[in-house]
Amino acid sequence: MSILFQISWRNIWRHPARSGILMGAIIVGTWGGILVAGWGNGLIEQRVDYLISTELSHGQVHHPEYRAEREPWMTIPDAESILAYLEGDERVQSVSPRTLSEGMARSPVTTSGVRIHGVHPEKERATTALYDRLEKGDWLGDEFRNPVLIGGQLADKLRLEIGNRLVLQFQDIDNEITAGAFHISGIFRSASSDYDERNVFVKSDDLSALIAGETFYHEIAMSLTSSDQADGVIADVNERFPDVHAQTWHELSPEIRYIAAYSGTLTYFLMAIIMMALAFGILNTMLMAIFERMRELGMLLSIGMNRIRVFAMIMLESLMLTFSGALAGILLSVLTLWYLGDRGIDMGMFADGLAEFGFDTITYPFVTAGEFFGIVIIVIFAALIAAVYPAIKAFRLNPVEASKE
Amino acid sequence: MSIIRTENLSKIYNPETVPVHALRDVSITIDEGEFTSIVGPSGSGKTTLLNMLGGLDKPTSGNVFINGTNITEMSDSTLIDFRLHNIGFVFQHYNLVPVFTARENVSFIMLLQKKSRKVMAERADKLLDEVGLGDRKDARPKEMSGGQQQRVAVARALASEPRFILADEPTANLDSASAMNLLDIMEQMNRNNGVTFIFSTHDQRVIDRARRVITMMDGAVDSDEYHNREKAATGGGGQ
Repeated sequence: MSILFQISWRNIWRHPARSGILMGAIIVGTWGGILVAGWGNGLIEQRVDYLISTELSHGQVHHPEYRAEREPWMTIPDAESILAYLEGDERVQSVSPRTLSEGMARSPVTTSGVRIHGVHPEKERATTALYDRLEKGDWLGDEFRNPVLIGGQLADKLRLEIGNRLVLQFQDIDNEITAGAFHISGIFRSASSDYDERNVFVKSDDLSALIAGETFYHEIAMSLTSSDQADGVIADVNERFPDVHAQTWHELSPEIRYIAAYSGTLTYFLMAIIMMALAFGILNTMLMAIFERMRELGMLLSIGMNRIRVFAMIMLESLMLTFSGALAGILLSVLTLWYLGDRGIDMGMFADGLAEFGFDTITYPFVTAGEFFGIVIIVIFAALIAAVYPAIKAFRLNPVEASKE
Repeated sequence: MSIIRTENLSKIYNPETVPVHALRDVSITIDEGEFTSIVGPSGSGKTTLLNMLGGLDKPTSGNVFINGTNITEMSDSTLIDFRLHNIGFVFQHYNLVPVFTARENVSFIMLLQKKSRKVMAERADKLLDEVGLGDRKDARPKEMSGGQQQRVAVARALASEPRFILADEPTANLDSASAMNLLDIMEQMNRNNGVTFIFSTHDQRVIDRARRVITMMDGAVDSDEYHNREKAATGGGGQ
């Protein structure tokens, strides 16, 4: 068998330019495919991380009907007990109770629809990454009366700056319209321009006082030590507190769960397309090689090389050609992913476009070990497809006819 | 002692459309140690006959016996194995493996026979020495002249220790000096080692050296004559 490997390897290099170009195409195809797939994975993971760290957290607790109706009176019953329970759970890193309201933000220039998040400043800071995304000004402190954080997009739209007054109008607990004047203490810029335009953050005590005259919460967001714990923690909360409805991040945003789940499929789909295209190139090269070596193959059959060996020799040539290129491509992609996975791909020049879709400008590409395994399976499959037909062609040669060629 | 015997050998190509009678009832016997040329004009059936003797093609009717074994009844895979151990081939276009050195080309057939590395190396070196290529063992075909390549092909044919060697137009692509040199080597192998050679040829130089000349015409044996009896008397042939 080792001699077949030797012959096959030498046969590949009969036409160094031709084999080199094909191998180069396999290397670039594999490398490019894995890199694009890794970039896609990075974008998806970044989006999921962003949603968890900034918008959703790992899980949230609401009044059972709040997410459907969003009525001000649908507050969390016995919120203090739930908060105490969650803060005592080792799996929970931090919790942030929130008072929520849908309303209008008014400036002297224009008005805009917003969701008002009344938060506990310290707990919100510990639970989400909003603080890290402050672009101007300060967190919800004591410098201003009724401080508010607004997104950069909304600030631009309302033409407001730090220290300016913003009027927030919303419903109180009796469904009457009420309003309050808030002062902009900080301007944040998240990955999503849409989020920045539609969300403002105030102190929960300030908002509660305007809505009902006392502190209450519509939402408790929780950050866990690991996102894998989400199902367990949420199930425990639902079991222990039947009057509320707790949900994991993927229940709150199922579309993100599907995107995350299908990120691997994207990798395989992309690689399958690339490898199938390359398989045609390999098939063509091997068929050319067989037609060129018809007389030699006829001689080998004549002198006593059996057909199985001839078949194996041609199969090995195709497989070695493909595997050498693919292996080099995979190694190159591992090195590239290692480099870019640490430093990230900066797409700052497309920042505005990416923000519209909720993506940060720096992406950290990665491909999982399982995906690499899947890619290797695809490469093997493509190599076999490319190898079988030429090998069968060689297997069926008539030594007399072949020797005449 | 005969090593090849054909019995009413016929071959018809395209029997159902435009039948071409390549061989018509050819019955010949070739003895061990012969140095025989099969001659005739193009289309006379000499190459077809050679292919039948080598088990490369199946007759439409008739039989080929090699050492008493009817090879026409063998399956394709059995025949391939039979050729490996019994028949040596020399082709008009040399048909060496271009990625192999001369030594590797000669050794390869022994590798297929599963001989040990030591035996392969020793025999390949010995044969290359015998065909005058002792100093070209590591050369690849493209680094050798046509004559040298054909001498490697002869060494390769001999490497498997076959019962006989079939040579199809072995000198057709060689200049006079190379052709004469090759014939000298083959004649010497025949004389000294008793190797049986059967040529299919147009080349008068080969015909002149042959001790038996079978002339084909329209697929049938037209004449079968023994020449150079004085050479045969001193050689290892069966004449």
